[in-house]
Amino acid sequence: MLRAAVKLTVTLVTALLWQPLLGADWQSEIQNSQLNFAASFQNLPINGRFKQFSVKYTTDQAAQPVDLQVRVIVASADMGNTEFNTEIQALDWFNVADHGTAVFTGQRFEIAPKNKAGIAFIAHGKLQLKGIEQPVTVPFSWRPIDHNQVSMSGELSLNRTDFAIGQGEWATGDQIGLAVRVWFDVRMLSNHD
Amino acid sequence: MSLSSNSTEGHASKESTEQWSWLSKLFHWATALLIFIQIPLGFYADSLRLSPFKLDVFVWHKSLGMLVLLLVAVRLLWRIKSTIPAAVAGTAGQKLLAKLAHSVMYGLMLALPLSGWLVSSATNFPVKLFWLIPLPAISGPDEALKSLASEIHEICVFALIIVLVTHIGAALWHHLYLRDNALKRMWF
Repeated sequence: MLRAAVKLTVTLVTALLWQPLLGADWQSEIQNSQLNFAASFQNLPINGRFKQFSVKYTTDQAAQPVDLQVRVIVASADMGNTEFNTEIQALDWFNVADHGTAVFTGQRFEIAPKNKAGIAFIAHGKLQLKGIEQPVTVPFSWRPIDHNQVSMSGELSLNRTDFAIGQGEWATGDQIGLAVRVWFDVRMLSNHD
Repeated sequence: MSLSSNSTEGHASKESTEQWSWLSKLFHWATALLIFIQIPLGFYADSLRLSPFKLDVFVWHKSLGMLVLLLVAVRLLWRIKSTIPAAVAGTAGQKLLAKLAHSVMYGLMLALPLSGWLVSSATNFPVKLFWLIPLPAISGPDEALKSLASEIHEICVFALIIVLVTHIGAALWHHLYLRDNALKRMWF
């Protein structure tokens, strides 16, 4: 009897805690968020990160994703030293003078097979980067931290030439590889509470 | 393991025929060759604008530099373990100067590749030596450390040039003016 009561209480509390996760607008909190990328040289990773970006995410009553938008200030890319940071802003690379912002817009969502990281989804959408729009798939998982905070994380690989990044003498992947790994761990806060 | 054994001639003769061992000679001339490639290669790589070619030149510079480090480390162990020929005739001051120059050269031959390795690591740029062996980073990305290590690398190379000029000058002076065995005993 007591055991049943405890079980019921736990279930109710869990449901209550989860309740605000349903049908919510979420906004990234930059201090606890990371958007990293790794280019490569001789197949060895050169890590970098974007220091400024924001993620907006909307879930419906069933806690399913309905909207995802990521905006990245491309000029905030940091590869750990001034020489690279200056170089990647140039025309052959990100050309930040003409294309300061990159935007990913999720258009269609599917539920991915469950994994231990949490609830997983796949966002099919469009990435606009350096003025070029390409379809991109972003797998991400969703892990509650407390009643109005969640962690959103995922990883994908992009081909830099799809977005004309690294043109001219850098266009072949002989030295600086064509595949760029992108991974993120974003703290999302619920807007309603 | 010394190949010659006529160092017991008694008086310090100008014509001492004591030779360096073949291994010492190999170490000496291999590092000499590498250093003569490395110094101009380093200045050349540094002068280039950032391009795929520059990256290739730096892969060569880093590969040869790490080879120097390995050679010098083994050479130092060999030198500590083995007996070396006595200094050729000269004043106490000259002998001290020679000893000092040799010590400084060993120090610089270690400091140059080590500071270069640190620059490469702190720059956050990975490298595969000879396009084969990934060089582990000895530091995380660190701009201040990179500047410091670059500064040290540069000071060391200028110091090495000065000591090398002295070293080569002294060898030629012994060979051409004093006509003693100093250069010959390091030759084959």
